[in-house]
Amino acid sequence: MTASPTPRDPCPLRLDGVVKRFGDFTAVRDVTLTIDPGEIFALLGPNGAGKTTLIRCVAGLARQSVGAISVFGFDTVTEFRQTRRLLGLVPQELNFDPFFTPHQSLMIQMGLMGVTPDAAWADQLLETFALTDHRDAYTRHLSGGMKRRLLVAKALVHRPRLLFLDEPTAGVDVELRKDLWAEVRRLREQGTTIILTTHYLEEAEELADRIGVIHKGRLLLVEERDALMHSRRRPGQALLDLAAPLDQLPEGLPPGAELRRGGRQLCSPWSDPEELERTLRRVREVARIIDLQVERTRLEDIFVELIAEAEQR
Amino acid sequence: MGWNLTGLKTLFMKEVRRFSTVWKQTVLSPLITTSLYFLVFGVALGSRLKTIDGVPYIEFVVPGLIMLSMITNAFLNTASSLFQSKINGTLLDVLIAPLGATEVVLAYVGAAMLRAFVVGGLVFLVAVAFTGFHMAHPGWALLFAVAVSASFALLGILAAMWAEKYDHLSIVPNFVLTPLTFLGGVFYSIDMLPAPWDTVSRLNPVLYMVNGLRYGLLGSSDVDVLWSAATLCALLAVLAATTWYAVHTGYNIRD
Ligand SMILES: Nc1ncnc2c1ncn2[C@@H]1O[C@H](COP(=O)(O)OP(=O)(O)OP(=O)(O)O)[C@@H](O)[C@H]1O
Ligand SMILES: [Mg+2]
Repeated sequence: MTASPTPRDPCPLRLDGVVKRFGDFTAVRDVTLTIDPGEIFALLGPNGAGKTTLIRCVAGLARQSVGAISVFGFDTVTEFRQTRRLLGLVPQELNFDPFFTPHQSLMIQMGLMGVTPDAAWADQLLETFALTDHRDAYTRHLSGGMKRRLLVAKALVHRPRLLFLDEPTAGVDVELRKDLWAEVRRLREQGTTIILTTHYLEEAEELADRIGVIHKGRLLLVEERDALMHSRRRPGQALLDLAAPLDQLPEGLPPGAELRRGGRQLCSPWSDPEELERTLRRVREVARIIDLQVERTRLEDIFVELIAEAEQR
Repeated sequence: MGWNLTGLKTLFMKEVRRFSTVWKQTVLSPLITTSLYFLVFGVALGSRLKTIDGVPYIEFVVPGLIMLSMITNAFLNTASSLFQSKINGTLLDVLIAPLGATEVVLAYVGAAMLRAFVVGGLVFLVAVAFTGFHMAHPGWALLFAVAVSASFALLGILAAMWAEKYDHLSIVPNFVLTPLTFLGGVFYSIDMLPAPWDTVSRLNPVLYMVNGLRYGLLGSSDVDVLWSAATLCALLAVLAATTWYAVHTGYNIRD
């Protein structure tokens, strides 16, 4: 068998009332969620929120205590052969087999996934993830970032239609992180649906079409990234560097505006572009602006706020 | 969707490669150990011992020594490979693959049996060098070799799944396998034991294994060969069913 099964349902993933308990402890509480075909979905949450546990349930590494999970319309428990063939997983924990080289690892994983091993495809994957130079090295001699890239390559050997990336950029340097995200975008363009977790929230903000926030096993919110950024948006801040120091604030600036650095910098909140324009005009009447920085609300700010709200409840 | 035969073949080859790349440790060292047994029990002591059932002592111990090496190697292959991959996390590669319990068990057991046959075969060749070639009933010899290596490969899987640390894993060879094999008539005939030990010995499954192979190679046995074969096949069936179920439900390997 080389071809992957034809989806029974276009929906890549459906979670229906999923609960996962470990003894008395409940790691995932009643999660219901539908993933759209071809989207990049970021699952965010603090340490121990239940992200990995949820992913493990989908991949068959764990079994939910209650509820049902389906991948492209196949049930992950009763039709695991179909679901596992359709999904790929980059696990959070580095794991590597010291016996095999990167090329061998990819060939073996292809076979295990039920795909006839194809050496050229393995080489192409190594090339994509900048591992060609280490094709025949001992895996234990790879650096941490290389091992993680090998894990991503391994997750792609069977060309999955649904890909889980559980903190794929932990320990990967800036440049390769950018490459990795470019690769993720390319996969999405080819029709792969992607679910990722990361603690680098700027990555999620940049990449994700939708964002889900999970806290203590409960899904707090699922929203389109743009809608979330808009609805939760707080006043931004404009930082104006002035040519000469000011003694006092110009008249008519929004409340909260203040002078810093001995009057050389003016910091003013803004909530819409017109307000920012008015501020700039006022300041320019009394001083020359030599630099301007505008800060918008970041996903990180929204995330911190959401978690704080959830803690209070 | 049917069985994942590509996956089964890959897992089998992966396990074979694992023991063959470290063949000095997995194949050579048991060979040296058993050759030492031959020297000590067969050549040095054997000349002072009389024949058993008309068979010279050095020939009498051959089937037992072959069984001993097959049992140990079949068990160690599945137990150490599975346990290591469970601890270092590489078992994940197998657990996320579309492999059913049948394929997983067949691949692990197949590779372990291959190792048991390679080592057992080499021990047999060493024995031929010491004692000459004896093969009274090849069919029976093969049947017992297959049933024994499969049983202990299955037991190795169960032990690896159950164990949480290395100490747990060594309990089985130290406290179960070694006593059972030494008391299982490898070095003596149970007819030589006083009552009630000759009867107690009959509860030891290794006795049937050793005597089964002894019948296959030398044509003599302490116990009825049909009875031995039936006992072993029953044991194999129970172990196979238990192991399949444990792998199917992911006992201690899936959360
Ligand atoms: N096998 C297990 N047995 C018992 N508890 C577990 C097990 N696996 C996870 N947990 C618990 O479940 C909770 C969720 O863990 P999980 O790994 O899913 O968190 P996470 O959101 O992935 O966190 P992180 O961001 O740190 O990776 C944690 O409290 C963890 O201790
Ligand atoms: Mg995690």
